[in-house]
Amino acid sequence: MEPGHGGGPGSGSQSHSPGERGGASLGCYDAEVDSEASTAVTTARLENGLEVVMSPERASPTVGVGVFYRVGFRLEPEGRTGFAHLFEHLMFQGTPKVPKPHFGNLINSAGGLLNGFTRHDYTAYFEILPTSALEMAVFLEADRMGQLDINSGTLRNQLQVVEEEVRVNVLNQPYGGFSWLWLTQHAFSRFPNNHNFYGEFADLEAASVEDAVEFYRSWYGPGNATLVLVGDFDPDAALQLVEHHFGSVAPRPEPPQPDLEEPLPADRREHRHLDPLAPTAQVAVGYPTAPFGSEDHLPLALAARILTDGRASWLQRTLVRERELLLHVAGGPLYPIGDSFEFRGPALFTIEATPREGVPTEEAVLALDRELARLAADGPTEEELHRARRRELARHHATTDSRLGRLTTLGVMAAVHRQAKLVDLLPQRFAEVTPAQVAEAAGRWLRPEHSTVLHWLPGAGGEGR
Amino acid sequence: MTGSVPSEEVPQPGAVPNLHLGRVHRSKLANGPEVMVVPRPTVPRVELRVSVPAGAAAGDSAAAAELLRMGIPLGTRELDQEQLAERLQDLGGALQVHQDLDRLTISAAALSEAESELYQLVASLVQEPDFPRDDLAIEKAKLVEGLRSARATPHFPAHEALGELVYGRHPYGRREPTEGEVARTGRRALQELHRKTFTPSLAQITVVGDVDPRSTIRRLRTAFSGWEGPRKGWKAPRVRAMTHQDLLYLERPGSVQTVVVAASSGPTMGEPGHIAFSLATAVLGGGFTSRMMANLREDKGYTYSPHARVESHSRDGLASASMEVRTEVTAAALAELRHELARLATVPVPEDELATTRSYLEGARLVTLQTQAGLASALAQVRGLGLDHRYLERYQAELERCSAEDVMGAARRYLSPTRMTTVLVGDESAVPGLEALAPVRHRRPRG
Repeated sequence: MEPGHGGGPGSGSQSHSPGERGGASLGCYDAEVDSEASTAVTTARLENGLEVVMSPERASPTVGVGVFYRVGFRLEPEGRTGFAHLFEHLMFQGTPKVPKPHFGNLINSAGGLLNGFTRHDYTAYFEILPTSALEMAVFLEADRMGQLDINSGTLRNQLQVVEEEVRVNVLNQPYGGFSWLWLTQHAFSRFPNNHNFYGEFADLEAASVEDAVEFYRSWYGPGNATLVLVGDFDPDAALQLVEHHFGSVAPRPEPPQPDLEEPLPADRREHRHLDPLAPTAQVAVGYPTAPFGSEDHLPLALAARILTDGRASWLQRTLVRERELLLHVAGGPLYPIGDSFEFRGPALFTIEATPREGVPTEEAVLALDRELARLAADGPTEEELHRARRRELARHHATTDSRLGRLTTLGVMAAVHRQAKLVDLLPQRFAEVTPAQVAEAAGRWLRPEHSTVLHWLPGAGGEGR
Repeated sequence: MTGSVPSEEVPQPGAVPNLHLGRVHRSKLANGPEVMVVPRPTVPRVELRVSVPAGAAAGDSAAAAELLRMGIPLGTRELDQEQLAERLQDLGGALQVHQDLDRLTISAAALSEAESELYQLVASLVQEPDFPRDDLAIEKAKLVEGLRSARATPHFPAHEALGELVYGRHPYGRREPTEGEVARTGRRALQELHRKTFTPSLAQITVVGDVDPRSTIRRLRTAFSGWEGPRKGWKAPRVRAMTHQDLLYLERPGSVQTVVVAASSGPTMGEPGHIAFSLATAVLGGGFTSRMMANLREDKGYTYSPHARVESHSRDGLASASMEVRTEVTAAALAELRHELARLATVPVPEDELATTRSYLEGARLVTLQTQAGLASALAQVRGLGLDHRYLERYQAELERCSAEDVMGAARRYLSPTRMTTVLVGDESAVPGLEALAPVRHRRPRG
């Protein structure tokens, strides 16, 4: 679910946000609750390759239906920056069976909410609706996976809508797109990782119906997708519905797996961006972060909590209150549009800071460097680590309680990592992380020489504007 | 595309089910606070809301009201902000303080095993927040920076100006704090405002989660029994809302879009006519299928997220329609919006469109109330407006009773183009085209 302003690319607007997204963060898990049937996860695979993940919870008469396609910003073609997100918009523009504008009408008239969003390595579509509309939602998702009406009229219309989305979220706002959109372009060296994910207007305007047809054919087949069902349904009956409606979607060729990797930088890179709308300076530092599943992955996820999450966090204590250098500090892997689990391929552990008036951004960066070096040298205390785990546990419960939160965490873990069941196993994994591991992970990854710094300064005529 | 209909293969959904909250437990503490507890054992957590009449419009100064909100998490004399934050994390907890115009709400959660400790922590914040000078100075610096950043957005000046136009000198129309006001507001002013507005006899406590209601009420009684304060509290005066026919244009040089916001005051939640008013507003701009979406986005491609909503205050409900459009189409977009407002006020909404909008509102509510957090916040909100859980349960039936005639009547009374006050923020090049629609008051930036 997208906020209307300041968030990442999506199809919607604040007017149909059903509430907290909940899925912004994955947490660890209480082993005792894991055994309860209410949170059991089952998976299946159809003959055409569609992966199905189901997590029933029957306390309220609503269901969540989501389709996660394994394609995001990284896989859009060169010369077509922003295309993955533009294409997401086209998925709401009608099919031969359900012409525009009936997709949204049907969902709304059943009492449902809908939206879509695009991220680095996946694109998600979802509906949250009363139980009695489950079959309709499954039908509609199967229908638009099987055949889409792509035409120049709707392409032109949505191109204009996307340009307005970029204007409202980036071009007409102070700090628009700050670290998620601009820092990444400096931090990486290869096209999949370092282009403008929202899209250059010239590229967006060059997009053709043929491009869209090709993109759809390549990446939107059942074998490249995960269907997630959460909420009030019987798994056996629901799987029959899924087979009935999705079973007839023809398989498409297996998409290629492009090489996304790139070398770690050897020296810190520094860039300055002048923003005529920004009243005060901010700074972002991005460090390439530990890959999913590596020994440093979970320790670094906890390091993010320990460093920046809330008033008891390390950087709030030292740099905001004790030394009074910063007013705000926040960050973590894929901050601010994702978390430690939302990527497959190079990604940044980003820290954003607002220095106090009179404190140069350079001084803020030096102070950050010192704190991160201290974390690497001393590690967190056992109490700090314990609190980070408790916080993850609480977040996990809150996320599980929300249809959209549960849907998103399962969908991401299944589609991006093919490990849906890991969502409910993370607790034990987090519980096993030691202070020494956090220190070692910080020492390996949060190093000045690998980092990229973006100084965002008040002034006229910056890059990218 | 018009005239094409979905295939008959599309499975038909059933009606949106009625909302049942189950058994709701109520109590009143001896010192005044009213307690409502709703067991909802979906996950082992508990959500707490404590609400008092200390909203953004309370007191004499916007700066004091805002700093009161920011000052609550700074802790008490016994527990500074860092110790408080550490205790909350130990409980698997979180704490935020929200304000609408009328009320301040402390919103906290924890693992249900830590229920008692959560109540005790929040009770201590409610009774003896400390606002220590050093910490307060940091919050003031954050507020000044936040205000500067907000003023740099196009939305903030639009809403500030609109509040002034609609509410005049009423506190609902109060301007955001200036930096000077922030600087002048000290610890003593916050202690004074806290003493006047944290009134136990007007406080409401809401708990939703994996709890046993009887022991929850006992624990709340223990935690909050020492809370004392004045018997009378702050309440916003009656609203006499104003309408302005001309367009206020706030120039923001170099803007690549114009922010358009049109607003009108009407009945609030629980008042006669509110349901028709909010249903009319939703037809205009709620959901993917609203008229603003269909016309301004999906047909014209002028804007990304056009929408309209009603915000309920204790004294009125404010409907607002807003959109961000590229500068060149500013006048064309406002003309379309006014066309939609006029159509809503003069032509009955077709029955199928009305049914879709009702279902959308009912479903959105069902989904929002599905979580512990969503239910707790919704209950706190309606209770703050003098209603209770039965309002949430009756909402659907009231929507169903609301006819196309009722909706057109509400639109004519509150949402016609002559009833809406409009503010635009953008580049000056959009102004000449607007003058064809209405007189424009063009306000240039100072300096």
